[in-house]
Amino acid sequence: MSLRKTLLIFFAGWFLAISLLQTRLNPESVRGLGEYFRSFRKTPDVSTAQFKIGFLPVTCHLTCPVTDFINTQVTGHSAFEPVRFNSWPELKEAYLAGHTPATFILAPMAIALREQGVPIKIVYLGHRDGSAVMVHKDSQIFRMEDLRGKRVAVPNRYSNQRLLFFRACKNAGMKITDIQLVEMPPPDMPAALYSKSVDAICSGEPFMGQTELDGYGRVLWLTKDVWPNFISCVLAVREDVIATRRADVQALVDGIAKSGQWLDQSVANRMSAAQFVSKNYYMQDPRLLTFVLSKPPDRVKYTRLSPLKPDFEEIEALGRESGILQGTAHFEDYVDPSFAEAATEKVEAWNFEGPKP
Amino acid sequence: MSAAANRTPHAWLKLALPLAVAAIFLVAWDTLVCVSASEVFPRPLEVARGIGELAQKGLLLKYIVASLFRVTWGFGLAVLVGVPFGLFLGWFSRAYEAFNPMIQIFRPISPIAWIPVAILWFGITDLAPIFLIFLASVFPITVSATAAVQNMQPVYLRAAQNFGLTRTELFRRVILPSCLPQIITGIRIALGIAWLVVVAAEMIAVNSGLGYLIIDARNAGKRYDLVVAGMVLIGLIGLVLDLLVRRLETFDEVRWGYANRS
Repeated sequence: MSLRKTLLIFFAGWFLAISLLQTRLNPESVRGLGEYFRSFRKTPDVSTAQFKIGFLPVTCHLTCPVTDFINTQVTGHSAFEPVRFNSWPELKEAYLAGHTPATFILAPMAIALREQGVPIKIVYLGHRDGSAVMVHKDSQIFRMEDLRGKRVAVPNRYSNQRLLFFRACKNAGMKITDIQLVEMPPPDMPAALYSKSVDAICSGEPFMGQTELDGYGRVLWLTKDVWPNFISCVLAVREDVIATRRADVQALVDGIAKSGQWLDQSVANRMSAAQFVSKNYYMQDPRLLTFVLSKPPDRVKYTRLSPLKPDFEEIEALGRESGILQGTAHFEDYVDPSFAEAATEKVEAWNFEGPKP
Repeated sequence: MSAAANRTPHAWLKLALPLAVAAIFLVAWDTLVCVSASEVFPRPLEVARGIGELAQKGLLLKYIVASLFRVTWGFGLAVLVGVPFGLFLGWFSRAYEAFNPMIQIFRPISPIAWIPVAILWFGITDLAPIFLIFLASVFPITVSATAAVQNMQPVYLRAAQNFGLTRTELFRRVILPSCLPQIITGIRIALGIAWLVVVAAEMIAVNSGLGYLIIDARNAGKRYDLVVAGMVLIGLIGLVLDLLVRRLETFDEVRWGYANRS
């Protein structure tokens, strides 16, 4: 057979076969492509477009999958579509480009985006506490002061974990230049601590708990010891979406508030969430979430999630000090507390019994 | 006569040598992990078990198909655009002078740097990774097609002129066949790059693929067996893809270009 004929037959067959297989095995991919091309024919309508919410597989964003799961179990469908990202930059870019009208995001990053003119409003908090500073179990670091001159990994310049060190240094009478901060994606932190390429790591769970569970990490301190009621992630919504879809945003905040109440209601609920979230959303070993959600149970909390002015003023001040914020945006500019106020008045925990572990 | 009878007595070495090297590599890997007593780095058997686990969950085929789908379309589009464009640039020197600096500016930019642009334009759909794979492979293909035309021996063209060929005939019967061997080499290199980029391309919010498997396993606690499983699978499929493209070199239309090498 000639080259041309062989090539034509082979490539036509290959394109057809791989595309058919993809349609069969990954139908959501083909659905996404369809949606994308349809969006050219008519201008997208924010009021009816599917409500996608960006999140990362960390405990700071746990209420997102919990709300989706319980909604689907109770009502048979979920009004929201959680979209899982793998790192902060991609999550933020999808939000900026308008593909996710709402997203879980680092609080200082949300404030910085507001300062840069992004129409973003924080409507609710993701959690309180829920971070830890871990050191290698063989290390001689037992107090904050022992970190002097050591290398400490934090997730991102705009993370509250970085601000946490500014506060911890102040508490311990140290300067921030006394420690060496490096930025590192949280999934890489356990291996970095194991190989002792950094002396301490700090990020949201479950990456800190993982080092403890695997036997080489030791807690230096939990956030609740240094910064009680610490906030790292918040739920942020685009302003145009708030204007056009108030009811949807309220339903989202209500759902997350209910999930928070439900998670803090009993250890059994937490254990059940550890199972269904690990298996269906985070694709992690359920042992990890089980561990970080229970040891101790107040390691991370999901109640008292209304955004409060004093909390954010503190973040603003530390943000300015650390050089990530200009101080041009204030609480009233970047927070819309109305949804949280409406939610706290009426919301009770879900009446839902999760699957038993 | 059977194919086996045609082989030289040492034909078995062609298979045995690479297998021996692979075996030594695996033994060395296993020994080094054991000696270093690493709790993080997996042993070959653990990786094999990880691949088994993926197959059991039905994820193995799903991920392989997802990655191949993206590479097929990204790379296919790159060939469709890159080969004609490269031939065009090779033939018209003015066009080459005009476009070449721009191509050389875009060529060294890593696909990872394009991720924000891909998300902005294509959102969180499969088009974003396809776009990244397209970008990574279109430039090597264009450059090799351009060079193929530019390096063509003038004697072919003079002979063609003596025969009084029309422009279309000249292109179909002289330029294309004489450039084909070099274009195929360019395509082979570009396919390697396209497959290499799959991990970076799948960093965007997709939820399938071998690149996704690696990124996802890093998120999943201590599952470095799956990280390495993803690496092994990408490597093995890369080998198969390369063997497939090399089959092209056995056709007469291409082989003449390599004749004096074998």
